[in-house]
Amino acid sequence: MAELALAAPRVRPRPGRDERLMGGALALVALYLIVTLLAPLLLMLAKSVQDRDGAWVGLANFSAYFGNPALSGAIGNSLWVSALSTLIVIALAFGYAYALHRSRIPFRGFFRLVALLPLLAPSLLPAIALVYLFGNQGALKGWLFGESIYGPIGIVIGSVFWTFPHALLILGAALATADARLYEASDSLGASRWRTFTTVTLSGARYGLIGAAFVVFTLIITDFGVPKVIGGPFNMLATDIYKQVVGQQNFQMGAVVSLLLLLPALLAFLVERWAQRRQVAGLSSRAVPYRPKPRRSRDLVALALAVAVAAMILGILGMAAFASLAKLWPYDLGLSLRHYDFSAADGGSWASYGNSLRLALYTALFGSLVVFVGAYLVEKSRVARPLRTAVHLLALIPMAVPGMVLGLAYIFFFNARGNPLNFLYGGMALLVLATIAHFYTVSHLTALTALKQLDPEFEAVSAALKTPFYRTFWRVTMPLCLPAILDIAMYLFINAMTTVSAVVFLYSPDTALASVAVLNMDDAGDTAPAAAMAMLIVVTCAGAKLLHLSLSRWLLHRTQAWRR
Amino acid sequence: MTAPYLRIRNVTKRFGAFTALDDVSIDIQRGEFVCFLGPSGCGKTTLLRAISGLDVQTYGSVEQDGRDISALPPAQRDFGIVFQSYALFQNLTVAANIAYGLENRKRPKAEIQRRVAELLELIGLPDSGPKYPGQLSGGQQQRVALARALAVSPGLLLLDEPLSALDAKVRAHLRDEIKTLQRRLGVTTIMITHDQEEAIGMADRIVVMRDGRIEQIGAPLEIYHRPANLFVAEFIGAMNLVPATWIGPNAIRLGAARLTCEAESYAPGAAVRAAVRPEDIICTGRANGHANSFQAEVRELEFVGPFFWLSLGGGELGEHRLRAQLPSQRARELDLRARDTTHLHIPAQNIRLFPQGVGHG
Repeated sequence: MAELALAAPRVRPRPGRDERLMGGALALVALYLIVTLLAPLLLMLAKSVQDRDGAWVGLANFSAYFGNPALSGAIGNSLWVSALSTLIVIALAFGYAYALHRSRIPFRGFFRLVALLPLLAPSLLPAIALVYLFGNQGALKGWLFGESIYGPIGIVIGSVFWTFPHALLILGAALATADARLYEASDSLGASRWRTFTTVTLSGARYGLIGAAFVVFTLIITDFGVPKVIGGPFNMLATDIYKQVVGQQNFQMGAVVSLLLLLPALLAFLVERWAQRRQVAGLSSRAVPYRPKPRRSRDLVALALAVAVAAMILGILGMAAFASLAKLWPYDLGLSLRHYDFSAADGGSWASYGNSLRLALYTALFGSLVVFVGAYLVEKSRVARPLRTAVHLLALIPMAVPGMVLGLAYIFFFNARGNPLNFLYGGMALLVLATIAHFYTVSHLTALTALKQLDPEFEAVSAALKTPFYRTFWRVTMPLCLPAILDIAMYLFINAMTTVSAVVFLYSPDTALASVAVLNMDDAGDTAPAAAMAMLIVVTCAGAKLLHLSLSRWLLHRTQAWRR
Repeated sequence: MTAPYLRIRNVTKRFGAFTALDDVSIDIQRGEFVCFLGPSGCGKTTLLRAISGLDVQTYGSVEQDGRDISALPPAQRDFGIVFQSYALFQNLTVAANIAYGLENRKRPKAEIQRRVAELLELIGLPDSGPKYPGQLSGGQQQRVALARALAVSPGLLLLDEPLSALDAKVRAHLRDEIKTLQRRLGVTTIMITHDQEEAIGMADRIVVMRDGRIEQIGAPLEIYHRPANLFVAEFIGAMNLVPATWIGPNAIRLGAARLTCEAESYAPGAAVRAAVRPEDIICTGRANGHANSFQAEVRELEFVGPFFWLSLGGGELGEHRLRAQLPSQRARELDLRARDTTHLHIPAQNIRLFPQGVGHG
């Protein structure tokens, strides 16, 4: 074949205007992801093997960490608390998803709505509510039989609350799609209900279960809000990073703990990707959708479970709402809005709420743009395949990076002397960049899914008609993907409103955020204003969600002429 | 002979270690309708994508109308393309879809409208302009895709399995329509298909491909009656392929029968494969007036309407089997039944021989 290569020179495709533009845009997206994601993370890895002055110390930081039981004890704590919480969440969420999708309980829409409510709240909210319920002056303190809520018990309950909807979404998807033929086959073979459940239902949902378990485990082990508020003296990895960095200014040790936190997140990420691929492959296009028939005993148990879980969720949310409105807990329970005037509180203000709103809007706007354009170039451009793969892989990284780790990496990178981007430090722009990077992966995958549903030959047709790709992007691709783009914007908005972990390292007095204010006010003992701010976030997110729903509906109505 | 409109020379396409196209050369004349035919994975789509510039070949050249377009991006080539999936823009009306390529050329609005109306007329959907693609049937959508591709009057029309997503009746109808349209416009057309009937019915010339190579190029009749090799013989139409022995000159032994044929010489005693179309086996009943005849038993008789499928064996055929098509009218005359013994005649020019062993499948 060497002779052939000599005889006929390899054809080098000559790029046209489209190809050059796409290549350039792709390079820009790659650069964007390198600056806002890869470079900070790499720098953080480097910091873990340096001392305070930046000299190479090998694994000295690591041995110092493991030599100090006060520090390394957090590993065991984090592991068992996260594992226990995961177990509880998965069990509850599976039952709940089963009740929603495989039984005939009434008010399924309502139950679904309630279960998703925690998504609208920062993870700090359940912790604060728990303080009111079971704290030293708690309404239900007696229920704990003398045990303290400050510590593992509080962390577990709080974590279960805020990760529940995440597990439910995954398990719901796994249980919503079932092949009725399998159930008929099992019935006709005379299998008992239990046997059908274990061999058909459970086995059909097994990848969903695995995926959900790992996602929830990562969310909990990397969460900072719940253990910060209600953990008391109980050390967890995520709070340790905060303590090392904010408390002791020991950035190197913060980097060491960050690396430890990366490991479970990375593992969870890989397992989740694997499980998701399997889940999709499990259902053939010829499947007949399963519709549960009414069965009294099962439906009653399902209803009882759904009512209990929904009551707990509403109870915790209601407690937070009540705490924010009660004049002086627990002595004067008259209602007032005075905790919503944050001027007296230490660490919070309406300005921080305004900042959060701005952050959320900028993140939604700029983020959905960057993410969608990036995903479009990865999926649809015909140029530079290695670069496309690189951008896709970069886009997947944030899923495996805990917010605390990203925030710390940002400090290292953007606060470094000599970095021309140093001027961003402490500003709103950096918070926006950090938040987009933090929630990039899910947005990217959502955009990819939507783009993959379009005909793969649109771009070829467009090129054949001598129409520049950006015109087709604007006239065809964007309009067809608008619902997905709205979903992404919504996802980014809500997460920007509720997130604490990455931004807690990055805000300045001018750019204080509502979610961080919740944390700081709670820290300063102003628990009621903290609850008020948390409720403000919930209400804002709920409002945004309603707006999103009506916008989507309006869009669907307007475009129903061509949507089939 | 005039210079070809499209000259494909030594085109090779590699994906890593895999060779999808291996040194392919074809000349296509202006106004010709050519089908690339072959099983899936034969390289026909890869070749089409090389011609369109969507996936440029690794080696080799493509010339269109005297211009070397080998390395050009699709936007700088002159072609219209229609895909199996239609690839219509669902959010634009039928008229907007057809006008899509025209709008970019800065033509006056009135002219665009006139052209769109003309094309809607041409594809027989004069009133569908304001509709959305989703409101049309599959066949109608494919016609709109065709109109969109033709709107800018491309020099070359590429059809990538345009009929495969449609059901049988619509397919047959659209097949004729495309063919008529192509004749009328005289646009040079390449169509990819894996359906040999489609290729035979539509193409001026067929390029039969396998494993990235060209097996044969020729007019439908030529490909059908003079397949160049065993693969083409088997792939196109129904074909009996029976082991036989060359006893020369111009004769083979098939079972106990001696049959003359017109073929190049083999070494005496060489094992060959005789290829005979089922419709070329003529049943003469009890009579045996032909030179090239033999006797065999009708093992099975299957009625399919205009003809019977005969399964022949025994007699002079021995353990060999042949399938023959017997017109229904002839069957009535002969009053043929299963287990009957009959005489069969194969005209010498209808027996083709291929060397034994290089076969496949």
